[in-house]
Amino acid sequence: MLGFIIQRLLQAVVVMMIISVLVFCGVYAVGNPIDVLISPDATQQIREEAIRTYGLDQPLWKQYLDFVGRLVQGDFGRSFVFGSPVLPLILSRLPATLELTLVAVVGATLVGVPLGMYAGYKPDSLAARAIMGISILGFSVPTFWIGLVLIFIFAVQFGILPAGSRGETRELFGISWSVLTANGWQHLFLPALNLALFKFAMMVRLARAGTREIMLTDTVKFARAAGESEATILRRHVLRLIAIPIVTVFGLEFGSTLAFAVVTETIFSWPGVGKLIIDSINTLDRPVMVAYLMLVAFFFILVNLTIDIVYVALDPRLRLRAAS
Amino acid sequence: MSGPLLVVEGLTTEFPTRAGIVRAVREVSFHVEAGEILGLVGESGSGKSVTGFSILGLIDPPGRITGGSVRLAGCELVGLPARDLRAMRGREIAMVFQDPAATLNPVLRIGDQMALAIHAHETVSAAAARARVAEVLTLVGIPDAARRLDAYPHQFSGGMRQRVAIATALLNRPKLIICDEPTTALDVSVQAQILTEMRALARDTGTALIWISHDLATVSSLASRIIVMYAGRVIEEGPIRQVLSAPGHPYARGLLDSLPAKAVAGKDLMQIPGAPPSMLALPPGCAFAPRCLRADGACDAEPAPTVAGDRRWRCHHPHAEPTS
Repeated sequence: MLGFIIQRLLQAVVVMMIISVLVFCGVYAVGNPIDVLISPDATQQIREEAIRTYGLDQPLWKQYLDFVGRLVQGDFGRSFVFGSPVLPLILSRLPATLELTLVAVVGATLVGVPLGMYAGYKPDSLAARAIMGISILGFSVPTFWIGLVLIFIFAVQFGILPAGSRGETRELFGISWSVLTANGWQHLFLPALNLALFKFAMMVRLARAGTREIMLTDTVKFARAAGESEATILRRHVLRLIAIPIVTVFGLEFGSTLAFAVVTETIFSWPGVGKLIIDSINTLDRPVMVAYLMLVAFFFILVNLTIDIVYVALDPRLRLRAAS
Repeated sequence: MSGPLLVVEGLTTEFPTRAGIVRAVREVSFHVEAGEILGLVGESGSGKSVTGFSILGLIDPPGRITGGSVRLAGCELVGLPARDLRAMRGREIAMVFQDPAATLNPVLRIGDQMALAIHAHETVSAAAARARVAEVLTLVGIPDAARRLDAYPHQFSGGMRQRVAIATALLNRPKLIICDEPTTALDVSVQAQILTEMRALARDTGTALIWISHDLATVSSLASRIIVMYAGRVIEEGPIRQVLSAPGHPYARGLLDSLPAKAVAGKDLMQIPGAPPSMLALPPGCAFAPRCLRADGACDAEPAPTVAGDRRWRCHHPHAEPTS
């Protein structure tokens, strides 16, 4: 197991190196940040000085090597726009996105999996059809539209929930969290619901398909022949057997939501990393873009590694292979 | 309490399909005495497994029992509410399936999944359940059982897995165990061991067995009485020695003649001409008539059962005259 993790971490280093080249070249190929950053009226001298300060007069390979050189010292560079180091900037925005993502993905799973299992257990019932109907809605209606509708209904029409921003936060481990205050939850609810709907739909489908398949197996028949109740069968047998695909999707959704909750964060003006990256693209703030994309790649590596470890915990048959 | 342990009368089970209604079990009647081993033979699709599942009330919808009765120690099981049926399963009648690799849950520890079968019927402490599981595992011949409770099914061999399944069936000391081809998926040497052990177990615990198999040789080494099914009907019933030495029904005779033990070296094995009829398009009258060498006009009418002492068959032209 330890050997497996070490091997994966070494692979991760290689992946990160490749990603850094791709991201750096990709980001530096588009646009000219000087045009955005400096007023068109500026003198030629000021322009050239700015270009030199940002290191933009160097050839691309030299810029990349400088970047990597700083990177290994833990320095992602400074934001063109804010002038401050990039890493603290991103990390200061991360908790807001992290809590939004956690609430959305965990909530979608806790609600979606039981409903999906029910829909798979009684596929012809009225309730199952209603659940599947909602899941189709969650799949097919675009996030931005649902976000706007949620604001319209809950914030504009009824005025019971705020339309945006984080609300009150409380410090824990030196980081401010909305989930620790009632007011924070009120602010969190709508954006989380908005994000969760698609994930909920996916969890429902996944749990339903898995349950339908498992219910037909001899494992379930044998458990029934032993007199086990349907509740026991669903909880102890079926849930354990469908857990693996659910964990996979949970992990991937968690990673991608953390990275790209852009639409929801924009609509609800949630001050998370999604909004940061959109703003930095608009201002061609290259260091922020590069650092952010590399961070996203790192998240995904971490998520995949975690999923693989959880697999081994969930499926004893994988333990032999992991050990060898 | 007097009379047989299990009485099945006129049992009929139907499955509606797109192409029409399949009557997989047609007016099946037989009985099982307490502590007796009854062999139930027939080829694939003859309805022998469905008969087993019908007794337990485990027919998957849309299939259902449409007629007849199943009485266990005088208590009618057909039409019993689901809760009472569940309480009866495992405690009064248990079942062992063909493929232990498919019946045991691969992601649960042996001890845990067997304990589920105990908790389905009694409220006992986890430790007490564990102790009983270990005790029964020892009974079915698993060495060092107490230390293997935390193993997973894939860590056992095929024969050991089937012993675990048999032990699960024995856990609640049922009066009857329906064994649906429990040795078919095992290799021959293991088959022989399990057969010997099952015979001893049934004798020692006083448990009656219904041994479902397509293998006459297996059944003949185990059962005291035999039932032969063809196209959903019982076509012959009697004490095993008498049926094997002088089968009445031409189909039973054909089965015996095609046993490899009867073959002459260098010659092809005997076989019954033709193929079993489609259950959707059964011939009128005797279902075996199209393949039967003795069939004539009389066979267009369904033969009534002929009863002679312990023996019974459904044929217009039996090989042997009933002797009592």
